Amino acid sequence: MAFLEFDRITKRFPGALALDGVSFAVERGSCHALIGENGAGKSTLGRILAGVHRADSGEIRLDGRVIHPTSPLAARQLGIAMVHQELAFCPNLTVAENLCLGDLPRRTLGWVDRAALRERARRMLAEIGADIDPDAVIGTLSTGREQLVQIAAAVGSGAQVIVMDEPTSSLSSGETRELFRLIGELKARGITLIYVSHRMEELFALCDHVTVLRDGRFVATEAIAATNQARVVRQMTGRELLVQTPAHLTRALGDEFLRVENLSSPGHFSAVNFAVRAGEVVGLAGLVGAGRSEVAQAILGLDAAATGRVFVRGRELKLGAMDTAMAAGLGLVPEDRKRQGLVLPLNCRENAALAALPLLSRAGWVDRTAERALVGRYAQRLRVRTASLEAPISSLSGGNQQKLALAKWLARDCDVLIVDEPTRGIDVGAKAEIYQLLDELAGEGKALLVISSELPELIGLCRRILVMREGRLAGEVARENFSEHGLLEIMAGVAAA
Amino acid sequence: MSPPAEPRATGSPTPASPKMAFGRMQESGLVVVILLLGVLLTVFSGSVQTPVFAPGPDGLPQRVYTTNASGESVPATVEKNKFLNAQNLAQLAKDTSFIAIMAVGMSVVIIAGGIDLSVGAIYALASVLGALTLREFGPGADHILLAPWVGVSIGAFVCIGVATLCGLINGGLIVALRVHPFIITLGAMAILRGIAFVTTKGQSIGGFPPAFRELIRYEVGNGLSLVPLAVMLLVTVLGGIFLSRLAAGRRVYAIGGNELAARFSGIRVERVKLGVYLISGATAGIAALLALGYYGAATSGDGQGYELNVIAAAVVGGASLTGGKGSALGAVLGALVIQMINSGIVILGIDQNYSQIIIGAVVIAAVVLDNLNTWLARRRPAASA
Ligand SMILES: Nc1ncnc2c1ncn2[C@@H]1O[C@H](COP(=O)(O)OP(=O)(O)OP(=O)(O)O)[C@@H](O)[C@H]1O
Ligand SMILES: [Mg+2]
Repeated sequence: MAFLEFDRITKRFPGALALDGVSFAVERGSCHALIGENGAGKSTLGRILAGVHRADSGEIRLDGRVIHPTSPLAARQLGIAMVHQELAFCPNLTVAENLCLGDLPRRTLGWVDRAALRERARRMLAEIGADIDPDAVIGTLSTGREQLVQIAAAVGSGAQVIVMDEPTSSLSSGETRELFRLIGELKARGITLIYVSHRMEELFALCDHVTVLRDGRFVATEAIAATNQARVVRQMTGRELLVQTPAHLTRALGDEFLRVENLSSPGHFSAVNFAVRAGEVVGLAGLVGAGRSEVAQAILGLDAAATGRVFVRGRELKLGAMDTAMAAGLGLVPEDRKRQGLVLPLNCRENAALAALPLLSRAGWVDRTAERALVGRYAQRLRVRTASLEAPISSLSGGNQQKLALAKWLARDCDVLIVDEPTRGIDVGAKAEIYQLLDELAGEGKALLVISSELPELIGLCRRILVMREGRLAGEVARENFSEHGLLEIMAGVAAA
Repeated sequence: MSPPAEPRATGSPTPASPKMAFGRMQESGLVVVILLLGVLLTVFSGSVQTPVFAPGPDGLPQRVYTTNASGESVPATVEKNKFLNAQNLAQLAKDTSFIAIMAVGMSVVIIAGGIDLSVGAIYALASVLGALTLREFGPGADHILLAPWVGVSIGAFVCIGVATLCGLINGGLIVALRVHPFIITLGAMAILRGIAFVTTKGQSIGGFPPAFRELIRYEVGNGLSLVPLAVMLLVTVLGGIFLSRLAAGRRVYAIGGNELAARFSGIRVERVKLGVYLISGATAGIAALLALGYYGAATSGDGQGYELNVIAAAVVGGASLTGGKGSALGAVLGALVIQMINSGIVILGIDQNYSQIIIGAVVIAAVVLDNLNTWLARRRPAASA
């Protein structure tokens, strides 16, 4: 008999049927992959198991017994923990406090035992091999590190079932490797894992079974050994995935649209020089922390300490003011959609129109018809799944939020667009759509700089790839010399280009 | 595989958008509260005997007398509901206008994620300085050289100008020093009221040009002051347009909702912050000017405790102290709720000292109800997509 069974789970949100009678079983001690397009209901299913949401109908059986995880605490008592896709910690508390929040070590009179607290946190972090200071305030950590703390919390809670919702989406490759090692260990200990990810290679490397969801419905559960990537994609999307060579590669390049000279920012990066021409797609590779995002933000004027010169279409840009940079034709899709990209209390339309506001307003008045049309066009193009564009953006699935963060800058119609991890959390089908869109933008004569930690993405898309290491440009590789191995070597400093 | 039951992408403009419907729902919730309060006050306030007035031979109102059963001439009276009578409602409207005007400004600040504790003090300082200016053109002044409207304009300019400047200084300090607005405006609250006290030496200042008082006290019917009401309407409409139709208003919501994301959208956060405190100050000045004309005098103690009423009005009206939520119409309806409670306390003969307690409780209840409403909305499965 199966260890964990979902039986006809149904969950309806205002305007969206997130899960529609989903049934499948998970074996004890296995790593069970859950995959599906953005908005297919993966996170919702995980949240139901972890007691964040309650199913409208259906039941969950653990070890043959019907369980009712009515709250995260109840779920934890049942031995279920979840690593959330969207961050779920108190940003103003320290790592140690967050890790032990449910059960703070106390002395008499309720005083928190600080030493014991720190010690326990250190042990939990060491268990997952994360090098994080337990006294660091959560809000100061990068998204990836915060994700690691979540993983430490789930593993350290002694749970028998752990749901991991896109745990690697913001991790560096080293951290990812460490996580995979940990997952192997957990499996050996008989802990059951439900693993959600859009990275197909991960699923095939880690998991034993895969369940595919589509539009809130169960499609299939299969043993990993008995299926393949193309088959899973077909089950997810109902179509074949076409991998096309970008059309922009064969076109002639135009004028130099962006030129960066000697750009430096103390403590982040120094002496960065490069140029991007109209119609060109340039990649920017590097390990997490190499300073790629910082360079992008400095170009846009978001780094007050940056020095150097930036030219847009031949004219020098005054550094330090994002609105002037935008007026000159620059745009930036930031790396962290939750913190830098989206305004959660606003709805989808308002978020997607925020960067294009100056284009959409005349004498300060927002032209609502134009706004709806513009946002609607990109939402349709990126196949954003939402009940309505007037729905709060927080009600969208992670991938759909990312699509709107992207739509916000596509709507702005920039001459030079920098996209930082544009496909984070986006499903395979929509990724292909985004690559095609970027290709089209290049075809229209825009200059694009793509920052990504996924090398296949850069290799597929770019004409050239710049590689950063420890705050410096360490090399440049032309398309004919692209190879994942070669790029990795430059990134790690093993070879110079 | 059957096609999805729910819409996938929504590119088509939706005529009745859920958010607008929700916004309407929230404000209609307030209207329900107001009607309920009205009914309760009407039922529980009981009635009073009020004398009947009629225009006498000289055009001024005079008491009407009747003869009673024993043939004596006694003042005629009619029985009126204490709450639901024209005079009381007119007064309620006037009292609400002052608070409501400031609540619109406060809403803008709160939506931007800030708070302005100094509105009461700005109101007092603007009143006092406006009063000192107006007195120079009043009947008591020994050098009336200018036409009355010039004097009144200068007075109005000083009153609103001072308040706007105070708001600008608040905003400037908050932006330049990067200190939480709570601290800056708390300090400003004490400093500005202190300045008002020192300038007036605690004296009441009156003696304004009669034309000014006549203008603002212009009444129709049973003492309904049209000017404060009209100004309130104007401020509400302007505030509503600013917040929901202008790009600048959208930026205010964005900053309150996520300041970093607003910065990453190319919004000049500092400039917008400066603007919202300026707006809040200006609305305090407008309210102060109306009150000057209405009451005909000012002291440094004016507007004491207004910050509580104004913040309460904004919060009851749906402004979220975490930023990013609220509306101008909500603020005005919130002000009406607060004033009805204030007025109810008087009418029901409850000790005045209880009013702060009750208003405090109402604010907390409003926030709890709002959270409950959001929670319910999240739980409630949609009837149809
Ligand atoms: N709180 C909510 N309110 C309204 N709708 C919601 C809410 N949470 C999720 N939904 C809807 O439920 C559907 C499933 O969302 P879910 O987050 O489970 O998707 P997902 O499979 O995790 O997608 P992704 O790959 O993008 O993370 C989506 O259409 C989403 O809009
Ligand atoms: Mg998800």
